[in-house]
Parts: sequence; C-alpha cells; structure tokens
Amino acid sequence: MANRINLNMTTVENRELRLGTIIGWDGSAKELIEQSAYDERSIKKHGGCKGAGQGCRLCELQSPLNQETMCSNAIVQCQIGNLTDCVLINHAPIGCSSEDAKFNLTMHMGLARRGKPQQNTLNISTNLQEKDMVFGGAAKLRQAIRIAKERYNPKAIFIAMACATAITGEDIDSVAEEMEPEVGVPIIPLHCEGFRSKHWSTGFDVAFHGVLRQIVEKHPKKKQKDLINIIALWGTDWFTDLLKPLGLRVNYLLDCASFEEIRQASEAVATTTFCETLGGYMGAALEDQFGVPQIDAPQPYGIKGTDAWLRAVAKVVGKEKEVEEYIESEHKRIAPKLEEYREYFKGKYGMVLTGSAYAHGLISVLAELGIKNEAALVFHHDPVYDGAGKNQDTLKELVETYGDIPHYTVSKTRAFQLPQLLKRVKTDFLIIRHPGLASVAGHLGVPTFALGDEHIPIGYDGILRVGEILKGVLARTKFNKTLQRHVRLPYNDWWFSQTDPFKLTNDKDVFKDIEEKLGE
Amino acid sequence: MSEIQKKKPSVISDVRYACAVGATNTVVAIKGAVPIANCSPGCQLKTTAMLTFENGFQGSIAAGGGNMPSSNATENDVVFGGIKTLDNLIKSSLKIYDGDLFVVLTGCTGELIGDNVPDLVGKYQKAGYPIVYANTAGFKGNNLYGHEVVVDAIIDQFVGDYSGEKKKGLINLWFETPYYNQNWRGDYQELARILRGAGFDVNVLFGPENPGVEAWKRIPQAQFNLVVSPWVGVKNAEHLQKKYDQPYLHIPEIPVGEEATTKFIRQVVEYAGIDKKQSEEFIKQEASIYYYYLEHFSEFFAEYWYGMPSEFVVTADAAYALAYSKFLADQIGLIPKRVIITDNTPAKFRPAITEYFKNNISEGVSIDVDFEEDGYEVEKLIESVEFTAGKPLILGTSWELTLANKKGALFFEISTPSSETLIVNRSHIGYKGALQFLERIYSASVGGK
Ligand code: SF4
Repeated sequence: MANRINLNMTTVENRELRLGTIIGWDGSAKELIEQSAYDERSIKKHGGCKGAGQGCRLCELQSPLNQETMCSNAIVQCQIGNLTDCVLINHAPIGCSSEDAKFNLTMHMGLARRGKPQQNTLNISTNLQEKDMVFGGAAKLRQAIRIAKERYNPKAIFIAMACATAITGEDIDSVAEEMEPEVGVPIIPLHCEGFRSKHWSTGFDVAFHGVLRQIVEKHPKKKQKDLINIIALWGTDWFTDLLKPLGLRVNYLLDCASFEEIRQASEAVATTTFCETLGGYMGAALEDQFGVPQIDAPQPYGIKGTDAWLRAVAKVVGKEKEVEEYIESEHKRIAPKLEEYREYFKGKYGMVLTGSAYAHGLISVLAELGIKNEAALVFHHDPVYDGAGKNQDTLKELVETYGDIPHYTVSKTRAFQLPQLLKRVKTDFLIIRHPGLASVAGHLGVPTFALGDEHIPIGYDGILRVGEILKGVLARTKFNKTLQRHVRLPYNDWWFSQTDPFKLTNDKDVFKDIEEKLGE
Repeated sequence: MSEIQKKKPSVISDVRYACAVGATNTVVAIKGAVPIANCSPGCQLKTTAMLTFENGFQGSIAAGGGNMPSSNATENDVVFGGIKTLDNLIKSSLKIYDGDLFVVLTGCTGELIGDNVPDLVGKYQKAGYPIVYANTAGFKGNNLYGHEVVVDAIIDQFVGDYSGEKKKGLINLWFETPYYNQNWRGDYQELARILRGAGFDVNVLFGPENPGVEAWKRIPQAQFNLVVSPWVGVKNAEHLQKKYDQPYLHIPEIPVGEEATTKFIRQVVEYAGIDKKQSEEFIKQEASIYYYYLEHFSEFFAEYWYGMPSEFVVTADAAYALAYSKFLADQIGLIPKRVIITDNTPAKFRPAITEYFKNNISEGVSIDVDFEEDGYEVEKLIESVEFTAGKPLILGTSWELTLANKKGALFFEISTPSSETLIVNRSHIGYKGALQFLERIYSASVGGK
C-alpha cells in the first residue's frame, strides 16, 4: 500500500493539490459523482498504477465575488487551540487571533459536553507590529515560546503561521527546532496561513499533520484493544452510547483532547470519524504509518449507513455476531418514534448547507425522516478523501441509497447566491453549519438550524434527535416571515431578479455597463 | 513577576480587540455603506466574530457579516499580485449591492504584497462611483485605530471639499467605535436624544439613527465636532479642524447618571453658545424623572439585607472603564479596587486618563489605573486584588468568567468579548441608561446567588 500521507515535511500539500478539491460547481449530484471518478482516484491513492488515471481535474466555477469566510489558520485555532494542556502561539498580527474568544466559548461548551472540567483556551498571539514586518518577528516568537512555557507549563507548544508571517518569510521551523531543547517540550510548527489553500479544510490536515509528526506515539509499547479513535470536533459524547455495546471506549481527537489522548492514538484498535472531510487525513496517516486501521465504511448516518458502519467496526473487534443482535434491537427501538416523525414531516423539504461529507450524512438523516432534498449546498467538494477507502465515497453512497439531488451546488460561503438557490427549489428549512450564512438565509423567510453540536445526527438516535429539533425549527418560520416582510438583504433588484446563482461567472457580459463607464 | 514577564512582553493572550481591518464594521454602521474587504480569507470572519458575535451577540446588518464582500486572497494573489482579484470584487460589488458608498479596506496581505489600491480605486472614483479606500493592515493597529483611519478616508475621499457656511447648533457626534462596545447602538441613541433635547441639531454618523451617507455629506456644515471619548475620534476631529476649519469640543467622559449628564449638557451648550432655555427645561424634566426612579430604587438599596457588592474591578476600553467607574464610585458609592484599560490607548492620552482616575473620579476616591492589553496580565492583576468587603463585583469580558467564579464574585460583561450576554437594545449611559445599568448590577445581586 502506498503511503498516502507524507509526514517527512513540516508542510502539508493543500487539498486542491492533494485531493483535487474545488469550491465552485453547479449541477446534479449524479453528474458530480461521475466527474469525480472516485474509484480511479482511490486506486491511485492506494498506489495503483498510473494507468488507472488520477481522474481529470474537475471543472470549477470561479466567482468574481467572494464574501466573508474562514481560513486554515482559524481551523488550526479551533483544533489545536482547543487542546487542554498545549499552547497555541499564533505568529501573526493581532487580528488573526480575534476569533479566540469564540473558540474559548466553543471549548467551554465542548468540555461540558464531554464531562471535563472547565478551563480557558491556552493561547498567545505574537501581536506583530509594522516594524516586525520589516525586521522580522523571530525574537518575538522566541519570547512567546518562553512565555508560553512559563505561563502555562504546557505539554507541547504549537506555532501557527499566518498570512503576514508567511509573506515576510518567518522561519518557524528553525525557531521551533532551536527552542525545543530549551523549553523541553515538543514545539510544533503549523503551516496554516490562510491564503495557502482556497479551502479552510486544509487547516484540519495541517493540525493533524503536526500532532502526527510530533505527538502521536511512534512506537507504542502496548495496544489498547478497547480504544477507538474518533476524529471529531466538540460534539456531545454520543459515540460512547453507540459503541459501548461493542465493548469500545472512545478517544476523541482533537478538540478538548489532552496531550496524552493524542499520544495514545497509535495504541487504538481503529480510527473512525463523523465526517470524512475532517477525518480522512488523520485516519489515513494512522493506518499507513502507525498501523491503526481506519473503518472503511459509510459514515454513521441514517439507518443503512449506521448499520454498515457498526458492522465494519464490529469486524475489527471481532464482534460480528453481537452486532447483528444490536442492530436489530436498535431498529426495533427507534421504529415507533421514527414513524411518528415521518408522518409529521410528510411533504416537507429541507436543504443542507455544510462541508461536503457531513452534508452527505445529514441529507441521509433528513431522508430517513421523510424529508425531501431537492437541493444542497456544500462549501467544497473533495473528489476523493485521503483515506480513499472503497466504502468511503460518501456522495455516491448518499445518491445510491436515497436518490439523486437535482441541484447540487458547490460554493464556498457566498451568501449572495442564497436568493437564487432558494428560488430554484422548495425549501421549508435549512440546516447550516458555518457562521455568516444562517442569518442571511433567515432574511429570506426560511427558518435555519445552525447545527453546532456536530454529533447530533449520528447513529440511530441521531435521526430522532434531528427530528425533534426540526419540529422547533419549523415553528420558527414565523420569526423569519416577519423578518422577510420588513427587512431586506443588501442586494439590488437586478440581483434578486436573477435565477442563476453563478450569473456573475456564467454571463461574460455581466460587467459591461460598469466597464463602459470606466472606459475599459 | 518573573524575569521573562518583566521584559514587558508585547505578546497577547486572551485578546480583547480585533485588528484594523475589523473596521469594516465601522462601514456597516453607516446606512447604505458597503465595506469591501481586501484581505485574506479568514480576516473578516475572525474580526467580525469578535465584534458582532462574541460581543453580546449583537449581530450585524446589511452588507456586514456573511454578506460582506471579501477578496479572500489566494496564493496566486500573493505571488502575482491581487489587483485583478480586487478589481473583480469591486465590479461585482457595484453590480449587485444596493450601496451609496463603498469602502475598500486593505488588510495585511494587500499591504505586504504592495498592491496599488489607491490607483485601482481611483479609476472608479474618476468614473463617478462613490468609493473610497483605507489602509487598515492588521499590523498597523487595532480596530479602534482602523476606525479612525476609515473615518478620515471617507472624509477625504467622499465628503470632499467645502467652503460654505457653518450652521449654528448643528453638531457632528463623534462617539464610540461602532460594534466595539456591546451597547454602542443604544448609547448612540441616548446621547443623540440628550443633545437633541438640549436643542441641538445632531448629525448622527453611525448606528440606528444614522440616516445614511447624506449625514456624512453634512459634516462640513456643522458648527463644531463633539468628541465624547477619552481618545477615539480626537484624531478625526483634529483632521476636520484642519480640513474645514471646524472646531471641536473634546469631552473624555461619557456621561452616566443625572449629575454627569446634566453637567455634560451644560458644557456643550456653553461651548456652542446656544440659548440655554431649552436645555435647562430638558434637564429639569429628565432630572425629575431620573430621581422619581432613583427614589424607588433607594428602597431596595436601603432595605435589601441579603448582601450587596461594595467593591468592584473594571476591565474595559478607556471610554467605558472611565464612564462606568466614575458613575459607580461617584454616584453609588462602590469602591473601585482596580481599573484596567485594555484598548491600547495611544501613549499621548494616557497621562490625562491616569490623572483623571487619580484626582477626578470622585471626592475621596483615587485609583492608579493600569493599561494592559495582555489578558494573562489582566487576569493576574485581578487575581491579586484583595477584596475586603462582601461579594466583589467584576465588570469585564468573558475571559474573566472562570476567574470570577473562582473568586465567588458577581460578574457581568461590559466589554469585548462577551459571550454570556445577549444585547438587543441596551444603554448604560446618560439619564435613561444609567438606570438600566443599576438594574443590571443589582439584578446580579438579588435572589439566591
Ligand atoms: S491574515 Fe491570514 S491567517 Fe490571519 S485571519 Fe486573515 S486569512 Fe487567516
């Protein structure tokens, strides 16, 4: 098997190069599956011969207009910045740290959900000034490392690169190496400057890359036969409920984890995740380089997905027989309530706007509830994941199980397209997992469910949990209708009259009037 | 303090402000204005997260938040220059937004790669588009600094020259940095209400009562600029003085409570030289209402025998640290134990603020104010306070929550960031706001807390 992940360098190739990730596309889900050629790409990832082809580069719609969005540095902050006993130094001007308070709130929520004691995040900004842009910030970085050690006595210190420091050429690798003996804990450089990748999810890979290189135990002395890695964010601990019957304990990575929990990842019996977009890199690396197999199965959403996922997990721990009984009893248990919800949501339409693999999971859950999905918006599309498992083609799994999605749009947080996206299909509510979009969509008369606790939809109970929440969400339509009656988005009538969300891309003459005025 | 700490680190933990490019929110506070963020992908989400979300969840509006155009620089832009990307962004913004004014704010990336933004924007200005640019790289300063830069940019490139008459009684209100203090909207309204009540025509440039960009066009006509803040806006007023020969009155203290507000009104009226009849009538009426409520409140204050705070600590920006400390110390009789100013107040304003806390806060009260932006040090400063009388009161940010719990203190958030508070419409200043401030403090004291 090929080494899908290269841990020799401190940097990570970004997703567009590694996976062929795109952030602009519009068509049906079926078409995208065809164009993505997952199987061919998967063979290639597993070291198959060149003849298998890489799958050609996906066509990508470029947009002249982009809007407020996230970056890889922010992702690193929300991952590494939420470790309990490690410090994250953001080597940057202060603005790059201005979301720290939000990640602090997230950490408090996460710790509460996981039953861990409350604490603030351990964060430092080197707070670079104009003169540091000219003369370099290495001295400040060294000082920050010493301060990090003195203030927090951490188990490891991470250094995040940011746009400004990447442009001025700060050598964080050298400083890390040079300082490590002095402070006596791993110092881990993370090359997560925002402009390096067009999609923030590269930041996940950078965070995992850092811990894989410098924290995860390279030569585990023992195996923990009942420990399973779950690549997660801050979600409530529902994986324990799901996996306890198989005799497994969960090891959540990375948010809210401690140094020790990360270190022991190589001792686990397997790795799985709630989202292939997030977990692919870590799963593949643990499998290739630490011998911890990843669960090659559909994601644990909806009945069929959860069944298959549980079976795959059970196989790893030799509980094939037990799992069948478990699955059967679970089906029985949720059936009456599920029937109730299906009745309740009859004739309802939903639309999911999230990262890609997670969207596929969520749409499955909505489909189980009897809710139709005529459209979906994902913020990026990875034609293949790093794990590239045979059974991990999440979009194909979705379409094969629940049918095509006629309007499947890939577009990274471009709120201005929402009027057109909502015009094309019937939608009674939206599920959104990214800041900035829900409130915009809310102006259009549709209630939105900002899904913060990402574990809500997993497993059998996840279907019921989503059903319960959606009842409340639908009721909130009243608020959104009020808003729609009185408040207008900042776009002009011409834009509202358009039907193509990619009008600015597809109409070559769209700026003609402005260009004429400019004399261009 | 250890050797390392003593070197006065410039590093910051637990940040309490955003950077200059966060001044996109200053633009959002002007009705009909559209910010165009010329920066890297995460910059706007982060700064806006801090200012509009993790700050009383006050939210955004119009072309703010998720609707904000942003160039989201890529590697390609960094290597080959980002002008083409910005040009496309400007065209698209002009094409689809309903905007009366567009403001391009350039962050670290654009400034470091040396894109010629003035040249590009100039092309649109020449063609008659209402568009301006501002240099707001994050390494140049925080969002308060960025706010002042944006204001000057709009004045110079949008308001333009003026040689007409000035109108007596018309004042430009320069007050707080929009979206920075959690109550800024309500506070703008209360201050505008007070000044109108006193007989002024108030030109409100930001917030709920801003009529739109036409208010900005009116700036040069005003009799004078009123700056109500220890330092924010002084730079702009100085600029206006030079540009339009327009004088300014600088009042560092945001008035809270009847006595301070009445004094404030009289000072502005005196300066303006307008007739005092209306202002005195207004004062009389407001004062009578204020004391009608205060007398009711005094029953609680006198008879509540389950304990009340006596000592307090404040950590906030200069403006609110000063305004709230003054009110609590001077009007209520709470004892200030520590005041920490966290907004990176420019050095030239610090002596005056220090002096104010030493000698002007209230008779018999004097305190050494600390200027500290590093949250770790802020926490240490609070931790070292020895409270000696009952339950302490900590007014600060969400970073202090854990510490406040540890200290068994009454705690509420008055400054950025705040994630334990939801603000829809609230003010703690002037006549009306001061009473709300009392409600908030003593609601935290009552019941089985
Ligand atoms: S400057 Fe770069 S690293 Fe910092 S917030 Fe902006 S995009 Fe992210």
